[in-house]
Amino acid sequence: MRLAAFNVVAVARLVYNYGFLCYHIFMIYLDHAAATPVSDKVFEAMKPYFSHDFFNPSAAYLPAKKVAADFEAAKGVIAHAIGAKASDLVITAGATEANNLAFTSINLDGSCRSFSSPTSQGSVGDPLHDRHPSILYLETEHDSVRKIAEQYGGEAVRVLPSGVIDLKDLRAKITDETQLISVSLANNELGTIQPLTEISGIIREIKIDRLKRGIKTQLLLHSDASQALNLLDINVARLGVDLLTLNSAKVYGPKGVGALCVSHDVRLKPVVYGGGQENGLRSGTENVPSVIGFAKAVELAKEHLNGNRKKFASWRKILLAELQGYELINKKHSLDNFVVLCYNGIDAERLVFLLEEKEVYVSTGAACAASKGIKSHVLKAIGLSDAEIAGSLRLTLGETNDEEQIHDVAQIINGVVATERERLNG
Amino acid sequence: MGKKVFVGMSGGVDSSVSALLLKEQGYDVTGVYMKNWSRDLPGMKCPWAEDLADAKRVAVKLGIPFEVWDFEEAYRDKVVEYMLREFKAGNTPNPDIMCNQEIKFKLFYEKAMEHGADFIATGHYARAGAGPSLMRAVDENKDQTYFLYRISNEALGHTLFPIGEMLKPDVKKLAEKNGLHNAYKKESMGVCFVGEVGMKDFLKEYIDIEPGEIREIETEKVLGVHEGAVFYTIGQRHGLYISGVKGEINDGLPYYVVKKDLVKNIVYVSKNLNDKHIWTKELKLKDIVMRTEPTKHILVRLRHRAPLIPATLVDDTLYFEQEIKRPAAGQSAVFYDGEVCLGGGIIL
Repeated sequence: MRLAAFNVVAVARLVYNYGFLCYHIFMIYLDHAAATPVSDKVFEAMKPYFSHDFFNPSAAYLPAKKVAADFEAAKGVIAHAIGAKASDLVITAGATEANNLAFTSINLDGSCRSFSSPTSQGSVGDPLHDRHPSILYLETEHDSVRKIAEQYGGEAVRVLPSGVIDLKDLRAKITDETQLISVSLANNELGTIQPLTEISGIIREIKIDRLKRGIKTQLLLHSDASQALNLLDINVARLGVDLLTLNSAKVYGPKGVGALCVSHDVRLKPVVYGGGQENGLRSGTENVPSVIGFAKAVELAKEHLNGNRKKFASWRKILLAELQGYELINKKHSLDNFVVLCYNGIDAERLVFLLEEKEVYVSTGAACAASKGIKSHVLKAIGLSDAEIAGSLRLTLGETNDEEQIHDVAQIINGVVATERERLNG
Repeated sequence: MGKKVFVGMSGGVDSSVSALLLKEQGYDVTGVYMKNWSRDLPGMKCPWAEDLADAKRVAVKLGIPFEVWDFEEAYRDKVVEYMLREFKAGNTPNPDIMCNQEIKFKLFYEKAMEHGADFIATGHYARAGAGPSLMRAVDENKDQTYFLYRISNEALGHTLFPIGEMLKPDVKKLAEKNGLHNAYKKESMGVCFVGEVGMKDFLKEYIDIEPGEIREIETEKVLGVHEGAVFYTIGQRHGLYISGVKGEINDGLPYYVVKKDLVKNIVYVSKNLNDKHIWTKELKLKDIVMRTEPTKHILVRLRHRAPLIPATLVDDTLYFEQEIKRPAAGQSAVFYDGEVCLGGGIIL
């Protein structure tokens, strides 16, 4: 069936855009929330900076200065895409580091006790556990936010069954000690888009009230926008965020590079010390090729934003129409490319392995959580039972797909689900 | 449907092929991953989740049901506690032997029986003969009866060892032929603290360890500093941290651990390969398990894959014809008569 659907144009397009992917020509990849391939245009843009333009941007001679200028220009491209300036960005080695860096904005002197450095084992000496948490974070956040928030004694804010933040719970949990609220722009397991402008509205109200009462504690909003950069039109001023995390690896750029966009009045502390790059906040020789690639990827994402959204929304409709015997989990407020399904009574991990044999790649949840054998805290938070969590499958559409594949994959998934049901009933 | 078998699947090639063979032989097979340990150690990721995924992938490929049975609590109580106790006493315990005795061929066996099993199966290289008797594997190089000598006859009587008659290379070939992805997987024990490196990290987490002196036994001269006497095994030659010792003793010959004084926390070493602490003609044992009627003249294996050596067993003492290098206290001496494993005991 797959061979019958073999489409020369589609293959040619795939080879053109993702030349190296020819090895997986029959693959149908539906896990774009986990990783995206670097597109050829991005790869081409990066290449000179590995060899010809290899210079250390901090060096004194002209060729190095040219590299430094290209690097700054690339940062400018990334920053402009979200309505910021190059100088607002701190380049990091990925979104996890950017999220961790955002938490250094908390003022630990004065209002709080001093902070002993976090340990890998999760039990910090003594930070803030016995007092009002100065950090609030959404309970469905990615581990790169959850774990650091826990280190600082943060408190989780609940989500509604739709996956959207419970604003009442947020209001109830904000105290005069609250300094930082972290809410991702779009969730990495459900694609749920959070109402950040509403949250920043609440924050503004509270800041006005604090001012009236003479309380000087800062109140910042951080958002991890890793999943959303190529699917939503993002503007930091409009969203009202103080700190925004970006990720290259989810938008067809290279892995291992990300950025934290920091508004002017936020003071951060370095997590990496050294030569003072990135305004002293993230030392280390600049990862020039990756930032050039990241910028190219952002440029392409902006260019294709509207077209991609329409395309993914229509493919999502096709899948929902042609798939059988499922329950849709992310019904509303979702990114267009997320399709999260629940197959009752079925172990979705078995489906992942059955689909793998047909070169169809999907996941049961966040890749890192699944590999640790941990049940998804996100699906739990929206009220799914253990059995429903076990039956949940996440499909995330992306640029490696075409419509032909979407029709095909619906049939393939229906097929393996039927096989599995037969095995269970036989 | 054939007889009902629960096969322990670790994610490795041996248990995967075992499941494959049982399926082909017409058994009603259920794969089970025994979750015994999942805690990461500092700087070391416990491989359990990956092993579990590997096992499950094979089960799905074979089209058999797959379950995860959680024995973590029992493993901690029965295996980990025993290990810590033994190390604290200065011995070198063998967690695999204890795990087979207490978990795989006890709790797993019992639970399988409760679930209506006719048999359990594992990917061990061993054979179950009539009687039942525990017999060495056909692949002499892989034989694992050393780890199995303490399992109960009741469990053994209900155990299938599907690869006991096969050679390891053939097991790998069969996995490849059937597209089992773990044909090339590195052998793992599923618990991160097995192996020399892991054990050290593990002990550091659970036992208070003090650095102490390393002394030459003949001269009482302090040669260096050790990290904690429990880490050292009699006969050990590596990891002594006494390189660069200058002067008359630096003749290039290696030092061996010959004695541990746990009270004073001193590790004694010697270059003298003939040191009386290293060699012996007799070994006293405890906790002897006899699987069959004791015979006097037997073959003994003192380590997994070590050669079989003739000995005489009188009460709880083994007498050897020639001097042997003394094995670490806490390890096992396992007895054989030809292919049959007669039992064994723990070396004092």
